[in-house]
Amino acid sequence: MHIKPILAAMRHHKAGTVLIALQIALTLAIVCNALFIIQQRIERMARPSGLDETNLFVIRSDWADKSDPQRIDAQMRADLIALRQLGSVQDAAPINSFPLLGSGWDNFIKLQPDQVKMTTDSAIFFSDEHALAALGTRLIAGRNFTASEVGAQQPRDAMHSAQVIISKDLAHRLYPDGSALGKTIYVSMGRRPSTVIGITDTLQAHMTGSWAGPYAYNAVLVPAQLLNDYTYYLVRARPGQLDAAMRDAPKALFAQSRMRIIDHKDGVMTFAQVRQRAYGPDRGMAILMGIISVVLLAITAAGIVGLTSFWVGQRRKQIGVRRALGATRGDILSYFLTENLLIGIGGVLAGVVLAFGINLWMVSQFETARLSLAYVASGVVLLLLLGQGAVLAPAVRASHVPPVEATRSV
Amino acid sequence: MFAYYFQLGLRSLRRNPALTALMVMAIGFGVAASMITWSVFRAVSGDPIPGKSGQLYTVLIDNRGPQYNDKGEPPEALTYTDATALVAARKAAHQTLLFEVAPSVLPEGNQSLPFIAHGYATNTDFFGMFEVPFEFGGAWRASDDEGRAAVAVISHALNQQLFNGADSVGREITMDRHTYRIVGVTAHWDPKPRFYDLFSGNAFGDPVQVYLPFARAVDVEMDTAGRNNCGSNVDFGSGRDAWLHGECVWVPMWVELADQPAANAYRDFLTHYAAEQQRAGRFHWAPNVRLRDVNNWLDYKQVVPPESRISLMVALGFFVICLVNTIGLLLAKFMRRAAEIGVRRALGAPRGEIYRQFLIEAATVGLAGGVLGLLLTALGMFGVGLLFEPQIARLAHLDASLVAMTLLVAVVATVLAAFYPTWRAAKVQPAWQLKSN
Amino acid sequence: MLKMTHLSKVYRTEVVETYALRDFNIDVKEGEFVAVTGPSGSGKTTFLTIAGLLETFSGGEYHLDGIEVSNLNDNARSKIRNEKIGFIFQAFNLIPDLNVFDNIEVPLRYRGMKAAERKQRIMESLERVGLASRAKHYPAELSGGQQQRVAIARALAGSPRLLLADEPTGNLDTQMARSVLELLEDIHREGATIVMVTHDPELAARAQRNVHIIDGQVVDLAEDPRFHPAQVATGEARG
Repeated sequence: MHIKPILAAMRHHKAGTVLIALQIALTLAIVCNALFIIQQRIERMARPSGLDETNLFVIRSDWADKSDPQRIDAQMRADLIALRQLGSVQDAAPINSFPLLGSGWDNFIKLQPDQVKMTTDSAIFFSDEHALAALGTRLIAGRNFTASEVGAQQPRDAMHSAQVIISKDLAHRLYPDGSALGKTIYVSMGRRPSTVIGITDTLQAHMTGSWAGPYAYNAVLVPAQLLNDYTYYLVRARPGQLDAAMRDAPKALFAQSRMRIIDHKDGVMTFAQVRQRAYGPDRGMAILMGIISVVLLAITAAGIVGLTSFWVGQRRKQIGVRRALGATRGDILSYFLTENLLIGIGGVLAGVVLAFGINLWMVSQFETARLSLAYVASGVVLLLLLGQGAVLAPAVRASHVPPVEATRSV
Repeated sequence: MFAYYFQLGLRSLRRNPALTALMVMAIGFGVAASMITWSVFRAVSGDPIPGKSGQLYTVLIDNRGPQYNDKGEPPEALTYTDATALVAARKAAHQTLLFEVAPSVLPEGNQSLPFIAHGYATNTDFFGMFEVPFEFGGAWRASDDEGRAAVAVISHALNQQLFNGADSVGREITMDRHTYRIVGVTAHWDPKPRFYDLFSGNAFGDPVQVYLPFARAVDVEMDTAGRNNCGSNVDFGSGRDAWLHGECVWVPMWVELADQPAANAYRDFLTHYAAEQQRAGRFHWAPNVRLRDVNNWLDYKQVVPPESRISLMVALGFFVICLVNTIGLLLAKFMRRAAEIGVRRALGAPRGEIYRQFLIEAATVGLAGGVLGLLLTALGMFGVGLLFEPQIARLAHLDASLVAMTLLVAVVATVLAAFYPTWRAAKVQPAWQLKSN
Repeated sequence: MLKMTHLSKVYRTEVVETYALRDFNIDVKEGEFVAVTGPSGSGKTTFLTIAGLLETFSGGEYHLDGIEVSNLNDNARSKIRNEKIGFIFQAFNLIPDLNVFDNIEVPLRYRGMKAAERKQRIMESLERVGLASRAKHYPAELSGGQQQRVAIARALAGSPRLLLADEPTGNLDTQMARSVLELLEDIHREGATIVMVTHDPELAARAQRNVHIIDGQVVDLAEDPRFHPAQVATGEARG
């Protein structure tokens, strides 16, 4: 293929060449970044919580009478006995917050009592000895709490955290050599020591914001019922009995006491709903980026078709002359395909630079990750293929211009 | 001539439907994407209380010290001690403390179940400072604040729910098993973002239903339903008293200061107060205070969710590509008519008229694109709920100004894109076009 | 009316200089019907485009209706073209998107005429060329001869002082050509100045006076030894 004459000919329609190349460049830059964002969000949404999500639901019970903490403690214990007695329920546990909730306690974790800067941050879950069974998270080292270790925690009191169970990731963060079991750590934001009596498998924290990225799997289980204005009950239904459990549980609770409020909208939520809420914005962003990418590619392709068709129209005489001089249909076709490819290459080169530029700006502004080369490479291939595909129809039409056009006047 | 060119423009749209459809769709989609993301962005980043945002300031004092600070900034609310002390000093014309509460409300006539209301414990100045409109009655009096009176102000929505919208001033409401006398019912008031309580991080949450005096709430031990930040390395004692008089921050404070000199004077007062604490041995560091007005506070807390910013950027990039596309297509559309341009020039059209004709033709395309964009925007408003949290999605709505803006943006952008193609069209040499072989 | 003295038009590329017109002189008085003849490439089309202010020239002078045109800007030239000149081209050059009425209207619009006056002039012109019934038709719906007559109507609608015609019958068959030429002669009789470029000697013979161009210069056929046509066709005297 003779590239030089094609390049020379392009100088006669610089504007159109530049416009197509520019479009390809911009589309590449945006689509690469958009696809990358999609991948990131999907990754985020796919993070495991470490729970038995299919059978799990949570009930939020607000206390109508908050005056007497002792009564709240007793009421919670009674509630739990009632819940655990239900045929459709496998286990139930009280808890102040749970993975993916988006709010709750989070404390600095320290290795020394007088440490000024935290070693790391972690979610704090107040629950009892049924927590692990209710969550569906297994213990990979040490032991569970005993019933006697579970206390009653008033929010303004010192933390009952003499014994704690921590998540695998937190253990690794604090003691990378794997020796966290039995060690003393400081979880109460003060000087009270806590002994690590057990380590769970993966357990996600309640924090979902991007600031909490490094701490997303740090969790501390404290053996106490938090006597707040409300409590959550984690209820794990027996397999296949989720619906039944979700009906029975609130009834059982009201049977225990009417002095509570369970919101009719979100008082009872399956874990699927919790997950939906937590990742709403991520899902939305992924969908938006997807739509924009598809529409962008369509528009660019259509633009190439439009502009190239116009050129073919303008050059009918020229094409006729070439054919009259002996060019075959294939020669004409490959001329236009090559021309388009050259423009496309120019466009993607500029687009690659732009793609990385946009990504670097986003990294600085939004703390996203850096664009991987694989994405850019696939974007380049995608756009070149798109460009060639788009120019196919006009190029074929050009190749059908009969040689007699050479003799026709304007 | 404008009407003539507009007619020509419309006619030329019909001439080549494929090309027209392409251009109109490109512009339509580009405009729609930009307008939707813009309307959400506008909703979350606007000034929630224009006209007064420069006079309302949030007060912060560093009670942690440089060792435990977050990059030298004081914590984002005050302790109970500091808050009440500052208010007692009365150094600002108007001032209010506040914290979020979630009392259980028992409707009159015990057939219905109690429910959790969303409320704030505040001072009487709150309503004047934030220009809260009232439907019935008004705020409680300053004496009610001091006297810890059992009074309350409820929202229009709560009034509908409990009293069917009647004038409920003087009636009673039971919160957390105590009765309160209603002194006022606010009209619908729900500034987004909830700038006065960014501390709790629920800037776009459900509207507030009830307000009661700060001191009363503290007295009946109504706990804060908002954030409670106790800092690190704090071993506070046990019990509510220790917490109340300790160094946990949970009380946002707002003051109204008429102008810059007043603000400076207040800042001096804060510095003086912090210095006093230092002298008294409570603080072991130099005074570190902040006085931020509404917009500065919104900026500092970065209220605009990153999703909103990212989508706006992407939508704009998308629009730019659509315009580049339009430039190319307009170029093709115009240059195809080089012969016509030559004829018109030969018949006496100066270059200026050619410019006018083709720019107006472009404006016609832009208008068509704008109309499509408007339809897509309206459609997209439904889809906004997918992308943003429902609280924010609610904010995006199609009003008259957005409609006008959509059409304007479409027309102006297309005309801008048309400048190069029109320039090329106007350059057409009549002689060259008309020479036959 | 149309007076060029020592006019030259040079086309310059990087490599070569071409003189389309060289030391060109012509003087067309008001009311004359002049045919400009010459072989292909002689420069007669260039002469016409310069005469019609469609192109600029490189040297010499050109007075149109008493006005020296070399220093006029684009707006002034356009105005003169619009008001004083009527064009009739070989390839009709009607705008295909517009119907007959709208085509004729184009130059009148640029003159800023009011709608009523425009309508009157258009209908008059169409009557003149015998196509009043076709006002709403599109060019594609008309025969070659009809299209040319529409072009003439367009040229006439503005009451121009000078009509410039470039091979007005070039694309027409003999019958249509004849009727167009008769129309031109009628118009001339009514007092218009017509300059017609053609390479058809029969056509040239119908004009009052012939000007012959060879290699960008005016040549007096009778005197130049290069050319000894068997007979110089002369038309009947028209008075």
